[in-house]
Amino acid sequence: MSADATKELRFPREVYAGTAVDEAVKVWGKFADFELSETEDHWVVKVTPKHEGAARQIIGEFGNYVLGLTVDRGGVDGGEA
Amino acid sequence: MSADQQTSIPDLPEALASANLGERSVSLNIDAELYPLQAVYGAAYIFIDRCYVFVDRPEAGKFRVTLAAKEGVEEVEALRSLVGEFANELISCAWRHQVTQDNRVAVETVTVQAIAGAMGEPSLDDLADFDFTDEALDDPLGIAQSWEEKHGRKEPKAEADAEAEGGASA
Repeated sequence: MSADATKELRFPREVYAGTAVDEAVKVWGKFADFELSETEDHWVVKVTPKHEGAARQIIGEFGNYVLGLTVDRGGVDGGEA
Repeated sequence: MSADQQTSIPDLPEALASANLGERSVSLNIDAELYPLQAVYGAAYIFIDRCYVFVDRPEAGKFRVTLAAKEGVEEVEALRSLVGEFANELISCAWRHQVTQDNRVAVETVTVQAIAGAMGEPSLDDLADFDFTDEALDDPLGIAQSWEEKHGRKEPKAEADAEAEGGASA
């Protein structure tokens, strides 16, 4: 897979739950390679789709999956706010 | 999302929303004081079947929601329609969130009263059968005893009694 297909997604910690990112990476591991890192404000995920023709779909659906898991958990702090 | 190829959307201020035709996406800047995160979650969740949704936090007090259409959106007008629908949904979610907050105490009070009422008052037979003694259970094997009670060092008086009994029997 070419490096051109790699995209860096920066999920703000105030919006996305870190556990949701981790779980999504496990689920989507068969469709893309992931490289995880973090900064003070973001969960940083480098996504390299395994199927270049479906790169947009894989990256987009992965982002939706992380958002969906975060919402299902009631947000970053589990709805305690 | 990349900032290149950004174009303004007709009838919408550029500071509020912009489109990226190359990526078939539109970004909407949101004031976090007006729209709480829970409302943004609610609106975003509704759109994840039609769009790839990404929520960013470009600066304190702001959210930026990027909607990338999954299919069928090639023109800026379609993107404008998309962002307009999202904005309407956002207002709806924010209002519902506000109503929920305002009525939270009332809802919890009514729920507790309803559950307590459903249980009903105890009948005279229930009261007659109720065991008011403190003995919760029989414990012939001493399972409920602590280790100290069962195996711990005995009181000096008890030890003296035990020795006296031992001496008398010897």
